[in-house]
Amino acid sequence: MPELRKDPVIGRWVIIATERARRPDQFLSESGQNPPEKPCPFCEGQEAHTPKEIYALRPNNTPPNSPGWELRVVPSISPFLRIEGELERRGKGLYDLMNGIGAHEVIIETNKHIGNMADLSEEQISKVITCYINRITDLEKDQRFKYVLVFKNYGWAAGGGRVRHSRSQLIATPVNPKRVKEELMGARRYYDYHERCVFCDLIKQELSSKDRLILDIDGFIAIVPFAPRFPFEVWILPKRHSCDFTSLQDNIRIDLGRVIKLTLSKLKKGLNDPAYNYVIHTAPFRRQKPGYWKTIDNDYHWHIEIIPRLTRVAGFEWGTGFYICPLPPEEAAKFLREVEI
Amino acid sequence: MADLRRDPIVGRWVIVDTDHPNKPEDYEYEQHLSKAGVCPFCYGNEPMTPLEIDAFRDPSTAPNTPGWQVRVVPNKFPALQIEGDLDRRGIGIYDMSNGIGAHEVLIETPYHNKDIPDLLNEEIEKVIMMCCRRAQDLIKDKRFKYIMIFKNHGYAAGASLQHAHTQIIALPMVPKNVMEEIRGAFNYFQYRERCIFCDMIRQELQEGERMVFENKYFVSFCPFVSRFPFEVWIIPKKHNGLFCHLPQEEIPALASILKETIHRLKKVFPNLSYNFIIHTSPANSDTDGFEGYHWHIEIMPKLTRVAGFEWGTGFYAVTTPPELAARYLKGIN
Repeated sequence: MPELRKDPVIGRWVIIATERARRPDQFLSESGQNPPEKPCPFCEGQEAHTPKEIYALRPNNTPPNSPGWELRVVPSISPFLRIEGELERRGKGLYDLMNGIGAHEVIIETNKHIGNMADLSEEQISKVITCYINRITDLEKDQRFKYVLVFKNYGWAAGGGRVRHSRSQLIATPVNPKRVKEELMGARRYYDYHERCVFCDLIKQELSSKDRLILDIDGFIAIVPFAPRFPFEVWILPKRHSCDFTSLQDNIRIDLGRVIKLTLSKLKKGLNDPAYNYVIHTAPFRRQKPGYWKTIDNDYHWHIEIIPRLTRVAGFEWGTGFYICPLPPEEAAKFLREVEI
Repeated sequence: MADLRRDPIVGRWVIVDTDHPNKPEDYEYEQHLSKAGVCPFCYGNEPMTPLEIDAFRDPSTAPNTPGWQVRVVPNKFPALQIEGDLDRRGIGIYDMSNGIGAHEVLIETPYHNKDIPDLLNEEIEKVIMMCCRRAQDLIKDKRFKYIMIFKNHGYAAGASLQHAHTQIIALPMVPKNVMEEIRGAFNYFQYRERCIFCDMIRQELQEGERMVFENKYFVSFCPFVSRFPFEVWIIPKKHNGLFCHLPQEEIPALASILKETIHRLKKVFPNLSYNFIIHTSPANSDTDGFEGYHWHIEIMPKLTRVAGFEWGTGFYAVTTPPELAARYLKGIN
């Protein structure tokens, strides 16, 4: 009998379709049809092929936009949003619009032509984490921005384009994105009623049931969520409560690097190097509207959501917010637990 | 400078790239090409499907034999099952329910290689009539709160079979996005005492720049806040909340606008994969009788691969402004 499961934070129902279930090993990625690669503008020595760098980790104090860096941040060459200008909101009959002010940056995670973040070292991933935090903190100073979204598209099927060089993107937006708001509202509703953080409760329950647990190390857990939208969807959560990703202390960034590397390596090895997206879910900037997010420090809990792109998402799932997941999360978790790295 | 546009119904912000808009030839999309193989939906292969639920067939032909024009069968791999009582329960902080529902497949034509634009108007009318008939039948079952009718055309759009078909899923709860749309429409209705979709049709007809096609009873246009490039909506001009209450006299007009709209999309994008979803009011729930909702069809061409940004934020970036998309669909460029 199929099951309907509800996400405890945002209230989305998901069908776990046991009737059409395949075994976990039947979801292996078919990456054969990817279009050919383009010359890589992100490798060391190719600095002239990107816009001018915003930030770089350059241990040898080499000049900007020259070789010698370990990690580099540049503006997107085809930005969704532009950094220059004042925000201007207006109406058009029934509709509302504003000009596209924002920031869109690319974080080049390594100077070598490595495609998958799983193949970077723990230390290198922890440097990437520090870079995310530095960039978010810098963009927070700009009063026009309310949220910074950090995400990664790896592989063609995940929107990663034709350059296979490990990188992340960040977008600073002048409005709080809808999906983020929903999550914040859901967490707040739960907190209003229980006076506990829904994510902390979720972590406790996952640690005690263990059915959906993949990793439990160094203060972080990796789980397959109870109501996943996709087969092998994975969340990484810090056990220690914090609403804000940028509050992650220096000395535990290496631990997060290790958990990310292990999780991505299990996906890579177990599922034949699938395309994936990950998104860091964190609290918005909390300077505006004093009192508006009055309990956010208590009720929200930052985390990372990873989505391997193994199945075709039918448009109706986009359209309705109703997902059919063809693999029970308990089986996905068991499969990933057993992948040895 | 790009626009940030806000959906007036659900409040979603979308980035519309008006600076360097993509032209149709800029999209590298996966074409839907015909493949050989045995098809369970083809004429003569009726024994390969589960037993039929309903069909339009020639008089004197028996169910599950040839002689049909449109055929509805249970999905062989149903996402939900029809038998049983709804049993909701909690596990710690989580809520769940058993998977009660219906999952049917409507085979639109006996011919293997025909899509909606290749069918005659009368054939499409039969598809529409059958969709209504199945929805009317399913809402008699009080366990079902929502009847979702949608089509995945092409592998890139999530179809596992090539033969033209529509799916019908009866759900024991209202999907989240539908609920949001209904709440949004409700808020607008309370404030202005008008239907937001009726207002939208008026504004689109007046501005004209996003219009694709219009006939006596329907309009099709690229919505001001499209989430996907070349997204098109088809809306009845006359206010009506429930698709399955479609008046008889509007059926030919719907068949004609559906055919024309998809034909135009496929003319710009040969062998296009696409999805469409019929958005309609819930049934058997406390929203019954609510006046502010207006059924419509949303067509989403599969031209791009949705990336992490969209997943994480529900914030979409559209690379062809709807005004430009509408020009292409009208054949102006």
